[in-house]
This record gives sequence, structure tokens and C-alpha cells, in this order.
Amino acid sequence: MRTLRLLGLGWLLQMKMLWRSTFNTLLGVIYPLFFATVAFFMFQAGDDPKPLLYASLGAAVMGIWGTTSTAAGASLAQQRWHGTLELLVAAPASFALILLPTTIAMASIGIYSMASTLLWGWLVFGIELTIDSPLAFVLAIPATVVSIGALGFLLAVAFVRFRQAWALGNMLEYPVWLVSGFLVPLALFPGWVRPISWVLAPTWGINAIRDAALGGSAWPDIAVALALGAGYVGIGILLLNRALYAARSKATLALS
Amino acid sequence: MNVVEAIDLRRTYKTTTGTIRRRSLEVEAVRGVSFEIAEGELFGLLGPNGAGKTTTIKMLITLLIPTSGSARVLGHDVVDDARWVRKHIGYVFGGDRGLYERLSALDNLRYFAELYAVEPRGQRARIDELLELVGLKGREKERVEGYSRGMRQRLHIARGLLHDPPVVFLDEPTIGVDPVGARELRATIASLTAAGKTVLLTTHYMFEADALCDRIAVIANGEIVAQGTPGQLKAGVADGSVVEVELFGVEEDSVERVRALDGVRTVTLEDREQKQLLIVQTAPGLELTHAILSQLNGTSIGRVSSREPTLEDAYVQLVTAA
Amino acid sequence: MSYRALFGWLSPWVFIPSLLVAPVFQILLFVYIGRSAQLESDEFYVIGNAIQYAAIPCLFAMTHLIAGERFQQTLGYILITPAKRLPLFLGRALPVVANGFFVAAFALVVGGTIVGMEVPAGAWAPIALVTAVSAFSCTGLGFVNAGLGLVVRETAVLSNIIFGLLLVFTGANVPIDDLPGWMQAVSEVIPFTHGIEAVRQLVDGVPLADVWGLIGTEALIGVVYGAAGYALIRAMEVVGRRHATLDRA
Repeated sequence: MRTLRLLGLGWLLQMKMLWRSTFNTLLGVIYPLFFATVAFFMFQAGDDPKPLLYASLGAAVMGIWGTTSTAAGASLAQQRWHGTLELLVAAPASFALILLPTTIAMASIGIYSMASTLLWGWLVFGIELTIDSPLAFVLAIPATVVSIGALGFLLAVAFVRFRQAWALGNMLEYPVWLVSGFLVPLALFPGWVRPISWVLAPTWGINAIRDAALGGSAWPDIAVALALGAGYVGIGILLLNRALYAARSKATLALS
Repeated sequence: MNVVEAIDLRRTYKTTTGTIRRRSLEVEAVRGVSFEIAEGELFGLLGPNGAGKTTTIKMLITLLIPTSGSARVLGHDVVDDARWVRKHIGYVFGGDRGLYERLSALDNLRYFAELYAVEPRGQRARIDELLELVGLKGREKERVEGYSRGMRQRLHIARGLLHDPPVVFLDEPTIGVDPVGARELRATIASLTAAGKTVLLTTHYMFEADALCDRIAVIANGEIVAQGTPGQLKAGVADGSVVEVELFGVEEDSVERVRALDGVRTVTLEDREQKQLLIVQTAPGLELTHAILSQLNGTSIGRVSSREPTLEDAYVQLVTAA
Repeated sequence: MSYRALFGWLSPWVFIPSLLVAPVFQILLFVYIGRSAQLESDEFYVIGNAIQYAAIPCLFAMTHLIAGERFQQTLGYILITPAKRLPLFLGRALPVVANGFFVAAFALVVGGTIVGMEVPAGAWAPIALVTAVSAFSCTGLGFVNAGLGLVVRETAVLSNIIFGLLLVFTGANVPIDDLPGWMQAVSEVIPFTHGIEAVRQLVDGVPLADVWGLIGTEALIGVVYGAAGYALIRAMEVVGRRHATLDRA
């Protein structure tokens, strides 16, 4: 019960802070639109509307990963800067319970960019969003958000330990966009990429959303995404204690 | 049982310099600090900037792992039993940082209340009580980014007391706060021990340590150079006297010559707008005014006076000797 | 993309990899999207994105220089020195242009190698030239961005938006001809459009003599934006002095 309260409050307060930051909200909503626009132009060539819808959904989910990967690192850097990271570590609550809701909140903000991308696609490029199974669609979205948030949590654990890791976090934006197959069918990649894609929750999240919209079974995808998410959290928790111990030994919790 | 025990705490920092060829430097910030704090005591850790106060306190509150040595709070080791220790201590530090700027004071407190496992049913009441105590009632819904330094400081104290910890650690809590606000803060701090809590306070204001603390440890260059009640520390320099000379434009070598005189313990030069004040602590039984003045030949001299040493002088002497 | 404004204190061992890895992935991303959409050749996307990515150092570094000064509150100090403004700012711009050049060149070579891009031997030098000119012209835009950054509080948002606009309008991933008329008009007056086209032609074997026009236009665009940006910064300096906003962090 206490755990749920902590997760819930942490999520809520992080959302409040993200909403109130023009930077995060504006950028989170607008930035993916540029990539979506390019993708729409590229897929527009043919007459078949399916590639466009495919691209629209893919571009929509790109925003969820984008906000998570960039915000995770930036948030930790900011917390270090603001002196709140130390205070969080000094608190008796489990640091995992403190960190997880923040990354899930970052992924949640991605829903705004998802909405804006779908809206943009519809308004400007005439891409109609047809949803084959609405229930699966509606459930696939939070499943994607939570599992991507969990991946963000794993990243954040690394950022706790290494002061400058957030810059590397920025570097992960494109690779995950590419390898999760948001805009590219996995079949196009060389065989050795496939396992990497499969280990990434976003791959299953976008599959679930696409299946739910275009026709196909989303439920297995949702299950795998959530299972992977749980796996990330488990690994993260195991690594976290060691990361925190190392951070306390090497004094990297604060700036000085 | 001692509430806080520090046993030969040491902390070394490794830093690297240079971009191409990395050289690593080792800085020993804390070199064997030991002290004990009894229940209900207001203990002061007094020292100049960079002396190792913050490093010491961070080791005690489990944020830093000592390079060697150990520390115990309420009988529990700070490294092995970190979780337990964290539940039973409060930590407050000075400055602008350490709060969520975009959230209101109330939200900040609600979050930390949850982190410190304050009973959900009692949270609202406890928060109200603390807001009242630190004088922030009525402003709790405003975002922290609009708060003054003094208000932030008071919010910090409220945050540190949410779970009613028996031990409170305060790291330079009045730094940068205006005199009136600082006085109120000190009154609040004094009330903590009145309520039965044990407090460790770090500061570089000696008058603050003098006024508030039951016992003081003076720390300089990572080592404790003296420990005792304010009275005991003053007694340490009660012998000897202090000669103060007002000067206008003194040269470095003159000051050095005075420092080199027999019987001179410490020499400090302070800037007072258009003039400088040379403060010389001398060993007991010596009349050195004449000798000092002769070393200052050629400099314009104003008032010359001789007086008893104060705690400030004791502090200067202890810190300079280190 | 988010906190590059703070990258001043980042160790080069972290900064450089992040600056070099990202463009390669951007190239890969669009190469694969291109294969999925079956439109242009791989080389099309390699060249387009390699050049376009120079926007990151050119925009952000320039803005950071100015914004960073403001952040460290040294801008006021610098602007009151009697030092001549133009050489001062040009001096600061040069490393930025070099930075942009290296990033684009690196991405071009690595991306080109991955997709097996064939480049005529004699084309490398002209390609390097065009890349440098493109970096120069985007740095000019960076000046404007920096000037705007003195007014706007969230400079990183602006820089990211400009990056996005360059992604869409420069023909990096979508041939200019496929864009609606009004967008083509915009493409003509922004950095990279001509540079990208020039490199594509050079890789196709078109001789240097035939692309001079494109190179010249690209350089001119750089000069115009640079001048505009410089004027903007000077104007903001006056405004800042009047409203005491020079050192607002």
C-alpha cells in the first residue's frame, strides 16, 4: 500500500513538474512532428493508405521514447544540480520506488506527442486513423508507456552512477527509433539486429499498437512488452544498490 | 550511549585533471575526525570553508562512504545500517538548492513526507504543524521558485523534521540569510534541543557556534584542532592578549615581519573600507606593542589598542595553526 | 537534443562520441526508411543527413557561446569591453564552423562506407569544400539563433525547432521537387539546401565547375544570415542594456 502511494505520488508530482516546463512540453509535442512530416512525405508516394497509417502510428510512438530517453538523463543531471538527488538518496524509501515513477511520468508525457503526431497526420496529410480493435488499442498505449518508462528506469540507474552519462542517453534516441522498427519493418534489417529489437520493449509496444489499429492480435505483444518492462525493473533494482554504493564511494551524487 | 559517534573518519577524493593525459590527484578532505555527541546536545562543528565540515556531515548522514574509519548514529553503523539510520535522522542544508522549484512548498513537503513514511493519516496535520513552526503558513501553495533564501531555509527545516527524527543534522543553515531571518532560524534551532532532539550543526560563524552550541569541535584542514565547550575554548587562549592596529595601506613584508616576531602567535589583516586592521595575538606576559609598531615603520598608523582575546581570536588561532 | 546548452562542462570523452554517433544513426534511420518506402537511393539519404546534422554543432555551439556567456554572467562584461565586435564574434564562429565540418565529414565518410557509396576520386576535395561552406552557412544561421536566444528564455527549444525545420525543408530526406511550392520557396533561402544538392551532384560525377553556382548561393546565404544575426545581437545588446536582461540566467 505504501509502495503504491509512493509510486502514485511520485508520478503525479513528476508530471506536475514536466507540465510546468515549457521546454519539455513544447519540445515533446513539436519535435517528433518534424520527423513525422519527413516520414509522411516519404511514404506518401504510393496510393495505398496503409504505409501512411503505419508511419503515422510509428511516428506517434517515437515521441514516447524521445521524451523518456532525453528527459531521463536531463532530469537526473538537473536533480544533481538542484541538490535534490542527494536528498532523495538520504531518504529511507527505496530509491527504485523514487526513480521508477519519474521515468514512467516522462514516458506518459509522450502521450501528448503521440496525440499531436496523429492529429498532425490527420490534419495535414489526411491520414485517417482507423482502429480495428479499440480495446486493445486503448490498453496497448499505457502498456507501451509503462514498459518504455521501465526502460528509462534502467537508463536512469546508469545515470545515477555516472555523472556524465546523460549525454550518452541522448545518443540512444535514434538507435532505439531505428531498431524498434517504428518506421521500418524489422524484416529489412540484417539478421543479427533482430534479437536486439526483440529485447527492446518499444518494439513490442509499437507492434501492439499497430496490430490493434490495423488488424492483428495485439495481446501477445502487450504481454511481452509488460514482461520486458518487469525485467528491466528487476535488473535495474539489482544494479541500483551497487550503483548507489558506488556513487556514495566516488562522491558523484552531488556536483562537488 | 552516545547518540552520534565518529571514529577516526577519513575521506579522500580522487579527481582527475587534464583532458589528454589524465592525472589523478588525491585530496584528503577529512583526516581522522573523531567526536561524540550525547543525547540532547547541540554540537557545533566549526571551521572555515573547505575545512571538511560538509564532507564529515555527509558521511554521518550516509551520503558518502568513508575511506576509512566508522561512524554510528544511535548505535547503528552509517554504512552497514544506512536504511535504519536514514529513518531516524533529519538533514537540513543551507543555500538555495535542494527543493523542487516548480512545485509548491506543500507538494515538496507531501513528497518528502511520503519518502519518510510519515503516517498517511497524520501527514496533513504534521505538515500544517511544521509550516506553523517555521512561519510559512499561508504561503505553502506558492511555487518554491519564488521563495527567498530565508524562506527556502525554513522550508528545509520543515522538511527535515517531517518524520520527527531524534537526531538532526544542520549544514550551514544560516548561510546567506539576512540577519533578521538568521536570528529567527537560530531560535528555531535552539528550540530543537529544548524539545529533546540531538543536533549537529556545522557553521563558519563563530558567534553562532558560541551562542547556540553546548560543545564545539573546531575543524580545519580536515582535522579537529580543538574540542570543548565555548568557555573551554576561550580559556585556551585566555592567556595572552590581542593588539589591534589600524593601518592605511600596509605592505605585505611589514605584515610578514610582524609575524616573524618572537611571541607573536597569529597575525590577521582585515580590510575595513579605506583602512586595514592588523590583529596580532601575542603570548602571555609579553608587551609587544612597541615591537610591532617598529616593524610597521613607514606605514600610516591610526588607532592602536590592546584587549582580551574573544572566541573569534581563539578560532583564528586554532585554524591558522593547523 | 535537450540539454546541449549545458554541454560546456562535459568531458570531451563523452561529448565527442555523442556528437559523432548520433549522425550515423540518423543516416541509418533514414536510409532504412527510404528502403522501406522505396524512393531514393541510399546515397541520397547519407548525403542529406550527414550535411543536415552539422546543424547540431553549428546551431547549438553558437547559441551556447552566447547563452553560456549570459548564463555565467560574463556576457555583460564582454559587451562592455571596447574590443571590436566583429572580429570577436568571427573568432568565436570559426571553431564552430570547423566543428560542423568535422561532424558532417565524419558522418559522410562513415555513412557512405556502410552503404557502399561510390565517390569519384576527384570529387573528395570539392565535397570537402562544399561541406565546409555548408557548415559556414549554418553557422550564420546560428548567429541569428544566438541573437534570438538573447531574448527568448528557452533557447534549446528554438534550436531544436530550427534543427527540425532544416530536416524537413532542405531536401535532406525528401527531394525538393516533391515538396509543395511554398515549401520549395523556403528551401531556397535556408542553409544546406544548395550544399546538399551540390554534394549529391558531385558524388554523381558532375564536375566542380558545374556546381559553383550552388556553392556560391550557399556561401551567400551564410553571409546574409551571419550579418542579420550579428545585427540582431548588437540590437539585443542595446535592448539588454536598457532592460537589464543581459545577465538573466
